[in-house]
Amino acid sequence: MIPAAGFPNRQGLHFTRASPRPYICGLSLRPPEEYGRGEVNQTNCQEADFAGRSISLLIQPHETAERAGPAVRVEHLSLKYGGQVALDDVSLSVGRGSSFALLGPNGAGKTSLISVLATLRDADKGLVEVAGHDVCRASRQVRLSIGMVFQDPSLDDRLSAEENLDFHGRVYGIPGRLRAEAIDRVLDLVELTGWREAIVRSFSGGMKRRLEIARALMHKPQILFLDEPTVGLDAQTRARIWAYLNRQRRERGLTLLTTTHYIEEVEDADRICIIDKGRIIAEGTPGQLKRELGQSFLHVVAATPADHAALLAAYPDSHAVSPEALAIPAGDEDFVAGFLARFGNRLREMRFEGPTLEGVFLSLTGRVLRDRTDGEREAQRNAGRRAGRR
Amino acid sequence: MSSFLPILRGIHGVWLREIMRATRDKGQLLGGVSRPLIWLLILGVGLNPYFRGEVFGEVRLVLPYSYLQFLFPAVIVLNIMYTSIQFAVSVIWDREFGFLREILVSPMPRWAVLLGKVLGGATAATGHGTLVLILARFADVTLTAPQVAQAIAYMFALSFALTCFGVVLAGKVRSFEGFGVFSNTVILPLYFASSSVFPLDPSLTRTQLVASYPEWLIMLIYANPITYAVDALRGILINFNQFPPHIGFGLVGIGMIGFFLWALRSFGR
Repeated sequence: MIPAAGFPNRQGLHFTRASPRPYICGLSLRPPEEYGRGEVNQTNCQEADFAGRSISLLIQPHETAERAGPAVRVEHLSLKYGGQVALDDVSLSVGRGSSFALLGPNGAGKTSLISVLATLRDADKGLVEVAGHDVCRASRQVRLSIGMVFQDPSLDDRLSAEENLDFHGRVYGIPGRLRAEAIDRVLDLVELTGWREAIVRSFSGGMKRRLEIARALMHKPQILFLDEPTVGLDAQTRARIWAYLNRQRRERGLTLLTTTHYIEEVEDADRICIIDKGRIIAEGTPGQLKRELGQSFLHVVAATPADHAALLAAYPDSHAVSPEALAIPAGDEDFVAGFLARFGNRLREMRFEGPTLEGVFLSLTGRVLRDRTDGEREAQRNAGRRAGRR
Repeated sequence: MSSFLPILRGIHGVWLREIMRATRDKGQLLGGVSRPLIWLLILGVGLNPYFRGEVFGEVRLVLPYSYLQFLFPAVIVLNIMYTSIQFAVSVIWDREFGFLREILVSPMPRWAVLLGKVLGGATAATGHGTLVLILARFADVTLTAPQVAQAIAYMFALSFALTCFGVVLAGKVRSFEGFGVFSNTVILPLYFASSSVFPLDPSLTRTQLVASYPEWLIMLIYANPITYAVDALRGILINFNQFPPHIGFGLVGIGMIGFFLWALRSFGR
């Protein structure tokens, strides 16, 4: 029972009479709409009679304690790295509980941005706030509220899965019993319970990735950064990982910030930010971007070099996506009909592509998002890493 | 206090990982056992009969100890030097294989991460030093319990200082291969130029010393901090000092703090 007059009028006490069932959260009363579904249940919620009204007392776990404002706020951020401009006047805002994707080719500045957000690198200029804390002045609070999945593996592969997680728990200051519970919880989440005692070196790439995601979720972060989270994973594993993450988002309001150069990975995101050469070139929901910037393209390969030259002359606004292939912005069906009448017999290959995010990137930058060499470079890097291993 | 406990937990976690890695690394453990055996059983036993303090045909220095006894503390220091300085490989490993980033984004302050790592490395090195203590009876060194306790405490302090030194070296080296060469060019010269395998006569004046050893060698030995570190341990284990023992203790203390701060500067960029 909570006496109505017993509340001291302190900071943090919000009482919304307009809402039918206010929730008491610590010292704050908030309407139920402000909480994500799944947060209130039998164990953390207690019915109480308050001022003649039925209310629920929510004993909220510390780590989900909310602060007002967006999960990530970046204003006019600039960063130089080795004399090169890595980020140039970047501003963005990521809402709590949303899924935000940073899309761009390799070297666009995605990893640099994540490094600044994760307090690994200091910004040259600009304001950066994560979970309501300034990354420079309150880096400890920022680090406690974020989880990080790096582009390259960062597990100790000479320890077992459990030992890696235990290390993480200790370093994040989680006490013994809670740590054991958290390990059980996250191992179950990524379906690695059976591999608990196995040494990480024996894991496949997908298992390592899942273990890293489990580890990043162990201290119940408010925001999870995923830097190219599913590079080198098969489609099935990729889908499973996204299913885990979206469930976390629904169940406890986790914010996801993903960088990727895989289009198919961001189609489900709430908001997409396209970044190229350290600048933000477009931002919006996937639908918005496709509607506003999306264009249909005809991807064609000419039969002979002469035909190629003729195509270029006829359509000066086409983009060369490889030495041979051209992407020609296509208007409507009439355009295609006209094109076929003119060049139909002078082509070796032709493919029509409706408005896609890939197309958005192409029309914004004149380049394809993923050049073919990306895959090769990754393979080479992995081979190098294997060879360098003792 | 509330923020101090999680940091302690973190330091313990980092320490525990170093211990797990050290005990699982069979190669390192083998080196830790075989090294003192070779030095004591082959070099020590081999040179034992020739160790009489005879210079130019007359006995000018009579040490009340056998060569094995004289060499014993030095072999402990050698074992500690190897393990401590090789610890830098663990730092390079973390850096090269990405694990360092996992630690750097954690809420632990950088000094606490380094402290945990160094304590872990120092514990492993002390363990390797203690392994040598087991051979004491074969070197005719009789030890009392307080001596063993003192020796272990001193060994830990020495290991701590040398491990920090190893981390400083790790900051200067970019690859594993480079480090192997580097560590040997650091460890062995320091060890040999420290009066570890041959004695200096404490009763001789400097001019008299110069008569038995070349000037440059004596300069090296006096300038080498390991000289005093070995000497202090000799004082604890066989009650023989060539220099005032507080120099050794003082240098180790300064080394612990100085190298730790230096390592902190280079750790994690």
